[in-house]
Amino acid sequence: MSRSFVTLKPGLQTCVQELPGRIGFLEQGFPLSGPFDSWSFRQANLLVGNDRDAAALECQFVGPTLKLDADCLVAVTGGDMRPTLDGSPIPMWTTVAAAAGQELALGAAMTGARAYIAISGGIATEPVLGSRAVFHQAGVGGRALVPGKVTPLGDATADRTVWTIPEESRPEFSRDKTWVVEALAGPNDDWLSPDTVQTFFSSDWRVQAKSSRTGIRLTGPEFAFSERATNKNADHGQDPSNIIDHGYPMGAVNLAGQTPIILVNDAPSTGGFINPFTVASAAFWKLAQAKPGEVLRFRRVDRDEAGVLRAALDMLTRPEVLQRA
Amino acid sequence: MLYDALRFYPGGDRAIEVELGDGMDFTINFIVHRLVAAVRQAQIAAIQDLIPELASFQVNYDPDVMSYEDLCAEIGQIYEQLGRGVTGSLPSRLITIPVLYYDDETTACIDAYRKSYPDKVPDSDLICELNGLSDRAALMRRHSGTEYWVAALGFWPGLCSLLPLRPQCRIIAPKYNPPRTHTPKGAIGIGGALTCIYPDATPGGYQLIGHTPAPTYDGEQRLPDFKDSLALFRAGDRVRFAPVGAEEYRDIQAQVAEGTYRHDIIDYQVFSVDLYLDWAKAQEAAA
Repeated sequence: MSRSFVTLKPGLQTCVQELPGRIGFLEQGFPLSGPFDSWSFRQANLLVGNDRDAAALECQFVGPTLKLDADCLVAVTGGDMRPTLDGSPIPMWTTVAAAAGQELALGAAMTGARAYIAISGGIATEPVLGSRAVFHQAGVGGRALVPGKVTPLGDATADRTVWTIPEESRPEFSRDKTWVVEALAGPNDDWLSPDTVQTFFSSDWRVQAKSSRTGIRLTGPEFAFSERATNKNADHGQDPSNIIDHGYPMGAVNLAGQTPIILVNDAPSTGGFINPFTVASAAFWKLAQAKPGEVLRFRRVDRDEAGVLRAALDMLTRPEVLQRA
Repeated sequence: MLYDALRFYPGGDRAIEVELGDGMDFTINFIVHRLVAAVRQAQIAAIQDLIPELASFQVNYDPDVMSYEDLCAEIGQIYEQLGRGVTGSLPSRLITIPVLYYDDETTACIDAYRKSYPDKVPDSDLICELNGLSDRAALMRRHSGTEYWVAALGFWPGLCSLLPLRPQCRIIAPKYNPPRTHTPKGAIGIGGALTCIYPDATPGGYQLIGHTPAPTYDGEQRLPDFKDSLALFRAGDRVRFAPVGAEEYRDIQAQVAEGTYRHDIIDYQVFSVDLYLDWAKAQEAAA
């Protein structure tokens, strides 16, 4: 019998995600997609015995209610959405054995903004362009869950070991509404005045309400430009922040006029605005968990330090971090 | 202007922007595509994605397989071997897109924006004014009087950046400021020196001049011409806009709804870059 779950309540745009995302189609305009907080995502998969990159659910701000149609292991990680199984609270960051017919329900995020639900066997939707990751806005790989939708699961092993992620191996969420986010200068930092580059790394940037998996909009000080931005070939466009259309790196701080927008998993692949800074890949998860109204402070790192952070994050998302509960 | 050497800019710890020149023209873009093809052919294990753009390209790579410095050096070497000459031939499909210029849906979209921003000059009036065109009919003749080169795809699945190949048909337009929150699927827009066709209902900033009923993106792959790809265009294709009247427009809409519409795609042609550049030069001299 094929395994699945049914969505009873969808939550706020709950989507199937998978790593590494939709590789190889950026040149046709398809974003990478994939989980926004890959740290929490991978730990959820590890807890239920899946490959750490297997397809699982990303919940945003408010989680879903699901009815499980098969015996399975589930794990909930990321922002605290107070998960329950048949109405009884269950621990996060821990393997939970669930029986066919039980209901897994998540509420609104108390801490953080995104939670992850992994189910043993992984989600077995049909890959589109090589990935199960959902780009909801264009309906690539499907869309967000809707009530009544049946989502197929893959085959799980018989292993029922209950694991937990020790607290020191979990991502540490901000307690004071401020996040220190590691970022690198470039590719277009030479389009800003040297003073503005300094200001970027020393200011508070507030996350706007209009933030999503496409971009995190920030409010902060004004930007001043360099000669390269103000005295340029007309093909670049009229505004100082305009540049001849170019590729947009994931994590880039894109400057449209005076509004910085951090481009994240479902962001446009290309466009005509400069990207003066780029968030280190090991810090993307913080963008996923920062709520509107909270503050980002950017700490300047170089490529070597970004590599050290990447290696540390990789170690934290390997099976070795699991402890028997 | 083509730079003497490639310029590399890091985009965080997993991407590199490679700039070849400073301008939006066919020659630079052609060299971008040739270099990207050569980099692809070199099958460098660290490279995960390549995004050719107008005068640059982006490389997404795994920094734990190859360092930024080594990858830049490798790409620099490939460019050196390739040279900066613009010559040769390549297969290039010619795709004809039917357009109803100044249609009602486009007009409604412009009017809706002007309710919020009354100072915005209506799109076609603004383009005519900036390009010395006497009226909308002249704009339509100029816009449909050339083949376009698919210079890049991006921003949204299937969204194309088209450069006019006939020098006299170059049209320039500023982008909306602030951008529109909604653009009809199939709208034809001009921004900078480029034309685009909106593959889906999305936000947008290009000035709108018409609408095509022929899809350029088909996520469900309903239409036969999308059975191998969700997006109609590939870089290096050529596009021609064919003005149609309301009756033909509705007929195509009906065929699309039935799932029977076939795009007009000619795929037996080879594009000679040398012959094209000679022709473009002669056209400019005659103008």
